Amino acid sequence: MIELHNVTKYFKSNRGRKYIMRNVNLTIPSGVNVGILGRNGAGKSTMMRMLGQIEFPNKGKIISSNSFSWPLALSTSFVPGMTGRANVKFVCKLYGKNDAEVKSIIEYVKEFSELNNYFDMPISSYSSGMRSRLSFGLSLSFDFDYLLIDETLSTGDTRFKGKATKALQEKIEKCNVLLVGHQMKILQDICHAGIVLNDGNAYYFDNINDAVNVYEDINKSKEN
Amino acid sequence: MKKRNPFTIYRAVISTLVLRELNIRFSSGTLGYFWAFFEPFLQILTLIVIKVAIFGRSDDDVDFAVYLALGFISFNMFRHIVSSSANAFKGNRGLFIYRQVRPIDTIVSKVFVELFISSIILVIFTAIGIYFGFDLNVKNTGMVFLAYIWLVIFSFSFALCVAIISFYFINFKKIVSLLIRVMFFTSAIFYTLHSLPAELREYLLYNPMTHFMEMIHGYYFYTLDDRYVSYNYMAIWTVALLYSGLWLYRMLEKRIISNDRTP
Repeated sequence: MIELHNVTKYFKSNRGRKYIMRNVNLTIPSGVNVGILGRNGAGKSTMMRMLGQIEFPNKGKIISSNSFSWPLALSTSFVPGMTGRANVKFVCKLYGKNDAEVKSIIEYVKEFSELNNYFDMPISSYSSGMRSRLSFGLSLSFDFDYLLIDETLSTGDTRFKGKATKALQEKIEKCNVLLVGHQMKILQDICHAGIVLNDGNAYYFDNINDAVNVYEDINKSKEN
Repeated sequence: MKKRNPFTIYRAVISTLVLRELNIRFSSGTLGYFWAFFEPFLQILTLIVIKVAIFGRSDDDVDFAVYLALGFISFNMFRHIVSSSANAFKGNRGLFIYRQVRPIDTIVSKVFVELFISSIILVIFTAIGIYFGFDLNVKNTGMVFLAYIWLVIFSFSFALCVAIISFYFINFKKIVSLLIRVMFFTSAIFYTLHSLPAELREYLLYNPMTHFMEMIHGYYFYTLDDRYVSYNYMAIWTVALLYSGLWLYRMLEKRIISNDRTP
């Protein structure tokens, strides 16, 4: 369960404060996969980062006893000079995995990411698709309560996208996911509930289809 | 996911960062390990040769090769810790997406890495010194060790302040490198403080590093002492830097994690 209590978040800009959230109160019940919708700049990624505790509300609190993955975004952060294998090992060690666990995670990620020889080459030689494959595989091999996924599913070729979606569907039998996406189909396939962010407000819907409808209404009204 | 206690997490983070730093440092080229130790060795050797060639082998009855090596190893450690910290928060930004990694950890791990490297260099130099029959007897090993540890704490405090200021002022690192250069020439590394005129000596003693160097030298060599060292002055610098560094860090940690540079 995740509770947001009076959460206010803004960014300072030349023209004053830009509010992402204004006094938002929200409860995400346990065992629900949530899709987060909103127009560009509405604060989807910021919300992910706040849940991953690498961005902090200006006011209010986010309370949860669950563990969260790092936010998986398109621009993943690996050490460019180190090989894929060394980077995977690095993250495993950060999470306190023992040698046996590290070994099995490396095997899994190597197989899942389909990097072959590239796995033992420096990250700087990777394409962006290869990086997100590595990062996606890596996050799947940890047992978090919540996976925070920001657009990552939209990379790679069609075949890999299918494989990633399938792997995620298997994974969410054991954990939950908070997913940011612009592809309604994937959101509807994976998530039960939805949150729509708009103009500093956050609306929670028990049914993802309602969230998608509201989001599309907002889109239409903004276009007119 | 299994809950880990804070100390276990902290230890995992620091040891991982240290290994990563060593990995990066030593994986540069095929002779990474070799260069990591040979480069400072070459620097020190060059200076020793120049010094001995110009000024003769000794004054003040001190073996100058040993004197130089000692000062150089200590100052290099300080220099590496401080100069790398200017980029510690910006350069490691990617690591902060893992929430157990806190910005200050990058500096702590850097300190451990430099401590490790300088110890290895010390061992290599000792081995060379013994082989060539230098007099390596130490007057007071305990006090030299204490001075070295104190210098590590001082370097950390200095580095923390530099890291925080550089986070807001990107060009601060240019000032830092200039400052380090000035400190290098005024720290009694390749001359003894005792051999200088009294008026000049007075100015050099405003540099806290001079006191550290004099303390190390004074307790290492039988023929030198710590008569110019002001332990109060060293303590004031250390406490002031450490306190203001930690205080600023506490206030700004969240901003540093989320890369928020707004005032």
